[in-house]
Amino acid sequence: MKITGSNVVPYPVEQVWGALLDPRVLVATIPGCERLESTGEHAYGMTVTAGVAAIKGTYAGACVLSDLVEHESLVMRLEGAGAPGTIDATVRVYFGEAEPGHTKIDYDADAVVGGMVGGVGQRMLTSVSRRMAGEFFTNVGGAIGAPAGAPAAAAAPGVPGAPVASPAAGQVFTAPPKPGIAARDDFLKGIAVGAGLVLLGVLAGSLRRRR
Amino acid sequence: MTTKLMGQKVQRVEDQRFLRGQGRYVDDVGIAGGARLLHAAVLRSPHAHARILDIDVEAVLDLEGVHAVWTYDDLADLAAPMAEPLPLLIPHPALTHGRTQYALAKDEVNYAGEAIAFVVADDRYVAEDAIGRIRVSYETLPPVVGIDAAREARSLVHEDVPGNIGARLEQNVGDAPAAIKAAPHTLSLDLTVERSACTPLEGRGTVARWEPDLNRLQVWTSTQSSTGVRAAVAVKLGLDLGQVDVITPDVGGGFGVKINHPWPEELLVPLAARALGRPVKFTEDRREHFISSAHERGQVQHIEVGFDDDGRLLGLDVEFWHDHGAYTPYGLIVPIITSTQLLGPYKPHNYRVVFESLYTNTVMVTPYRGAGRPQGCYAMERTMDAIATYLGKDRADVRAVNFIQPDEFPFDQGLIFQDGRELEYDSGDYPASLEKIKALVGWDEFPAFQAEMAAQGRRVGIGLACYVEGTGVGPYEGAHVHIETSGKVKVATGLTTQGQGHATVFAQLVADELGVKFEDVEVVTGDTRRMPYAVGTFASRAAVMSGSAIHLAAKRAKEKALKIAADALEAAPEDLEIVDGVVSVKGSPGASIDLGTVSVLSNPLRYAFDEASKAATQFSVGDPGKPPVAEDDEPGLEGRDFYSPERATFASGMHAVIVETDPETAEIKILKYAVVHDCGHLINPMIVEGQIHGGVAQGVGGALYERMAYDESGQLLNASFMDFLMPYVTEVPDGIDIDHLETPSPLNPLGIKGAGEAGVIPSAAVFAAAIEDAERVDRPALAITAMPISPSELYTLRQEHP
Repeated sequence: MKITGSNVVPYPVEQVWGALLDPRVLVATIPGCERLESTGEHAYGMTVTAGVAAIKGTYAGACVLSDLVEHESLVMRLEGAGAPGTIDATVRVYFGEAEPGHTKIDYDADAVVGGMVGGVGQRMLTSVSRRMAGEFFTNVGGAIGAPAGAPAAAAAPGVPGAPVASPAAGQVFTAPPKPGIAARDDFLKGIAVGAGLVLLGVLAGSLRRRR
Repeated sequence: MTTKLMGQKVQRVEDQRFLRGQGRYVDDVGIAGGARLLHAAVLRSPHAHARILDIDVEAVLDLEGVHAVWTYDDLADLAAPMAEPLPLLIPHPALTHGRTQYALAKDEVNYAGEAIAFVVADDRYVAEDAIGRIRVSYETLPPVVGIDAAREARSLVHEDVPGNIGARLEQNVGDAPAAIKAAPHTLSLDLTVERSACTPLEGRGTVARWEPDLNRLQVWTSTQSSTGVRAAVAVKLGLDLGQVDVITPDVGGGFGVKINHPWPEELLVPLAARALGRPVKFTEDRREHFISSAHERGQVQHIEVGFDDDGRLLGLDVEFWHDHGAYTPYGLIVPIITSTQLLGPYKPHNYRVVFESLYTNTVMVTPYRGAGRPQGCYAMERTMDAIATYLGKDRADVRAVNFIQPDEFPFDQGLIFQDGRELEYDSGDYPASLEKIKALVGWDEFPAFQAEMAAQGRRVGIGLACYVEGTGVGPYEGAHVHIETSGKVKVATGLTTQGQGHATVFAQLVADELGVKFEDVEVVTGDTRRMPYAVGTFASRAAVMSGSAIHLAAKRAKEKALKIAADALEAAPEDLEIVDGVVSVKGSPGASIDLGTVSVLSNPLRYAFDEASKAATQFSVGDPGKPPVAEDDEPGLEGRDFYSPERATFASGMHAVIVETDPETAEIKILKYAVVHDCGHLINPMIVEGQIHGGVAQGVGGALYERMAYDESGQLLNASFMDFLMPYVTEVPDGIDIDHLETPSPLNPLGIKGAGEAGVIPSAAVFAAAIEDAERVDRPALAITAMPISPSELYTLRQEHP
């Protein structure tokens, strides 16, 4: 399954880059994300509850960011598995300036979706991820715009003010209580795709074809 | 005199039960056992191709209600043969690289849906939840999906199978390439057929019960071969054959998929029943059926043909590539049938056929009703149509010049058929069939109708397709006929029943032969306790094989009855007749004896239990100077016999369809569907017509709606009845015009041929022809080369031929 597209976040690339590398932002803004654990530099384990149509379930996943070229590009390798199915994806992500102060994110993803969610839910995936990604970027924008509001405060108890870019391995982040920055979390859970697709959606934005 | 029932439209005795919800299917077994019955669920691979790095069942071990969780590593300790791959049922010398799966995947999975772990729990809910907690680590491998990818072989399904080629088989009659080269006209065609599947309403299912007091295993399974499953279970569980009974209750459709065996669950369920000491059930769900049972049909074909000015075949050279999926448990049966039955009613004079049977990372392929014939018929009939178009001749005329003539039977096509025997047609009358189908569909009147419709802005087209079907392949079937002291007749044959009406037609045969009332005959099928020797229900063979065996067994029982009755009535056996269960001397009906009484006399008893046995203790038949049971005799009024033919018997037929295609939407509508069918003597025309109706319905699905939508990573995207378009009654023509021709087979005592699969064989061919004919009203170059065809695809074809 190939997905390409782009999205604009109305903040400068430095801020967007920083937000997307901050696990405290991620755990608070990824729809359905309940738990994010740092397993190394830019490597996370995560638990996401999500559903596609009637196929709902909890996924255990992993996300590794590599080939980081600051403010320009990165590669995200995703894996997720749960009772409803599996996802494996490699996403190449490019950051650019859409207009001054606005970041354009282009991505192309090669995803393999397996199991029940792949067989029965796959025809729903594109539209589901489109909606979900749009919601996610709104959340990220909100998180950048209101930093005091939630994400930092939502970090795991006992580690306030932990460094943003390199959380210690084993450090656990849990989603903030509702409402908060992810006020639409319940709604998002209902339409989310699964651990991998959720992370795909992080970078997806609205799924417009590149050409 | 009792009316002869052979050839009568006798009402099906099964339908009262089925229509009142009283059918007993595997899933109904064991409900009475209630709480003791355990339920199984299977973890299936989400990936089409992956190495299994680790399976973590830790989260399941302490789950309440779970009784067992097994992976491959557990199998050897439960029964050593379980660690071996599943059997390759039908080996063939050309299948140089046959591969079968393990009951639970070992190290690698080769299709999405392959069984990896097996859980037994108090109920299915707990079992499914447990499955959801098993964590498997995979290293995904590049999947091979589709025939093109298999041929390119940039990735391999099995790393030790070069080119993904499981088998390559070539057969030659004469020198086709040379004949084509020398022919005045030549054509070549490239055709494709997509995958579909049997999709019976009842999926697979198995219940097993281990009887520790008897040291025996009882297995109920939804199969087309109970004796096959029995042998497989015995071998795999390390039991003696005599310790295993397999019972096939009512089966909610088979259509071929249940002839493959043993399925992993057919072994794992009995294994669990024995290990846990509790009865265990597995019932396949719909999605599981789509992704872990079997598919069929997918082929790519290249045809070269040389012919003369009349369209007479001079040489035919066919090359095709057969997608057999990830494994080959059923050998090369499907492509061998395609390669041989492709010839249909024609004489090609020079024929060369070569196929490659290819591995892909998809669900494996085993026979589906028609079993390779629909693809062969499609190749041949599309060729006939192409020749007619090229020469500007009537499509029926081109076929007629190529027919084997009635005086040429038996006709040896010079090939080896699926049963390893010569492809020798026993009988047929193809010119007569053609005349009948032309009359039935209105072939000669059609051009005027087409012109009339065109004048109204409507597009209609007609198609014709002919087939020959080898039916009733061996090796044998057997039957046991027992006349009880009540006069009732119990009949057992070993092959299984999937709703065909065997209990009706077999009872007709017994009633006719024995001279008993139809309603006094009860037929049991697929129970190894009643008939341990049997092969199975496939290849349109039940009526031919078991029908003949039952006829012979009834004859044996009758001979014995007449011998005893002759003794009792002091008459010669040849002077006796049996009518409505009463044996009497011909011409003097006063001298008579009930068959039930004959049965009493056949079994000298010491003890009396009822009126009938009282009679037996008081009367003595036979010579008082000899033992009560003579040396060459046995007690009881029974007959047992087997039928084993030299080779298959060849049924034939022709279908014609008139379709209308919508000029705007490209919707395809069936206006008329006609069938001429020759399966020799008919036992029950109503049941034969029912088989034809069902076959045509499946054929409509296969030609216009059904396909297996795999994505490039080997995920089946339409694994549900929401997405897989099985035709409803609204898509099947409400009137199918049927005419019969009866060319008896000389190979069996009843002169019958099989009828089960015929209805589905010509569908792809006949619809392609009719749709093409309709479209060519304004697009003469449009050719339909890929089936099935949807309105969207037809619309696209139109855009390519503006």
